[in-house]
Amino acid sequence: MSDKFEGHIAPPELVALLQARNKAAFNYLYDHYSGALYGVILRIVQKQDIAEEVLQDVFLKIWNKIDTYDSQKGRLFTWMLNVSRNLAIDKVRSKELRNERKTDEMENNVYSYEHKSQVHQSIDSIGIKEQLDKLREEERTVLEYVYFKGYTQSELSKEKQIPLGTVKTRLRMAIKNLRNVLGIS
Amino acid sequence: MNIKDYIASGILEAYVLDQLSEKERMEVLQLTQAYPEIREELNKIESAFEELAFQTAITPGAHVKDKILSHLEQNEPYTPVKWSHKKVRSQTIGNAFRLALAASVSIALVASILAGVFWNKWKSTEDKLKGLLAQNQEIASEYNQVQQRLAQIESDLKVVNNPAFHRVRLQGTGQSPESEVQVYWNPSSQEVYLNVLKLQKLSEDNQYQLWAIIEGKPVDAGVFDLAISTLLKMKSVGNASAFAITIEPKGGSATPSLHTMQAIGNTEG
Repeated sequence: MSDKFEGHIAPPELVALLQARNKAAFNYLYDHYSGALYGVILRIVQKQDIAEEVLQDVFLKIWNKIDTYDSQKGRLFTWMLNVSRNLAIDKVRSKELRNERKTDEMENNVYSYEHKSQVHQSIDSIGIKEQLDKLREEERTVLEYVYFKGYTQSELSKEKQIPLGTVKTRLRMAIKNLRNVLGIS
Repeated sequence: MNIKDYIASGILEAYVLDQLSEKERMEVLQLTQAYPEIREELNKIESAFEELAFQTAITPGAHVKDKILSHLEQNEPYTPVKWSHKKVRSQTIGNAFRLALAASVSIALVASILAGVFWNKWKSTEDKLKGLLAQNQEIASEYNQVQQRLAQIESDLKVVNNPAFHRVRLQGTGQSPESEVQVYWNPSSQEVYLNVLKLQKLSEDNQYQLWAIIEGKPVDAGVFDLAISTLLKMKSVGNASAFAITIEPKGGSATPSLHTMQAIGNTEG
């Protein structure tokens, strides 16, 4: 596996190479996307060792299931993001972890990830605060529950006793405002 | 169909986050192909999540990649679980019941067709209502934001228009001639407001710090970041002869780092 790709591979080409079982393409995929996906996973599961486990499952699943990815339905990144979110959320919801979390008295808040001491990175590089601080409180809450905790919109509506329509528009406004913060016109 | 209502309903966000039923997903997919506006909106939502993930990326430990690659060498792809189907046993129905059965089936059929017709009507009305409610909420939410922004601008305007406030212009120094900042200072109430017109971007570890020069000595007047578009209230200052801005480590310093001075300006005595 010594051959490596230099420069940038556009997603359609990358998908074609992966579907052709090209391992150099897989290397490229990992090098380019593991950081972004690991950030998402770590903020969901909140524990480094478990996040690494999930990341491993994610990349093996991407490799094994790349044939089921359909570019008509959305971007490669969106697909990988949802594979990551789903596996991470499943992990958190699995009983064994829930018990462990209880005994650990883990804090449940994704924004507080900065405070965990077990992480190697410098504190500032972990924060997602900067991006989310500019959202309104209720928009942040919806984003937290739906994006990081994997609640469906109707689950959140029941849990927080907010009408479903409100949950939907709040999520929409959260992402709309996030687009401004991130500079996507 | 009304595309704006459809977009405002928030269904595209739910689609990107993989939260829809198969039926809803198919619908979004079809509409995406039919309406470029929807395609474009979807694209922006996907960009937002991608950008957010990349801006907040965390590099995993190097051992993870090694582990994955060694797994690839050894493991076969997942084998899908096979489902076994039980054969449904066929039944024979006695002749005596056939007629009654036929009659009741007809009645049931008519009833369910009627139910279907009314259900569809009700459903489409409900969908329309939902779309309108969603749009209404989005407008209300946007209105609130505009309202807040307006309130901020109005309070800023009060400061700017108040003759008790002196406007002190801070000009760039040798290392940052472009910098331009205004300080609104009310010597009697001691209030200080900052209006950043132009300052260079800072690294994550640094913040700007405002200093008031009082009797020749710099006194801390508070730290700030660039991401502000309104007047910023700083610490109260009594009898300053000048204001200056330096770059300091996050949280500010006790004494200014003079070599990082970005802008300075004298108050009109």
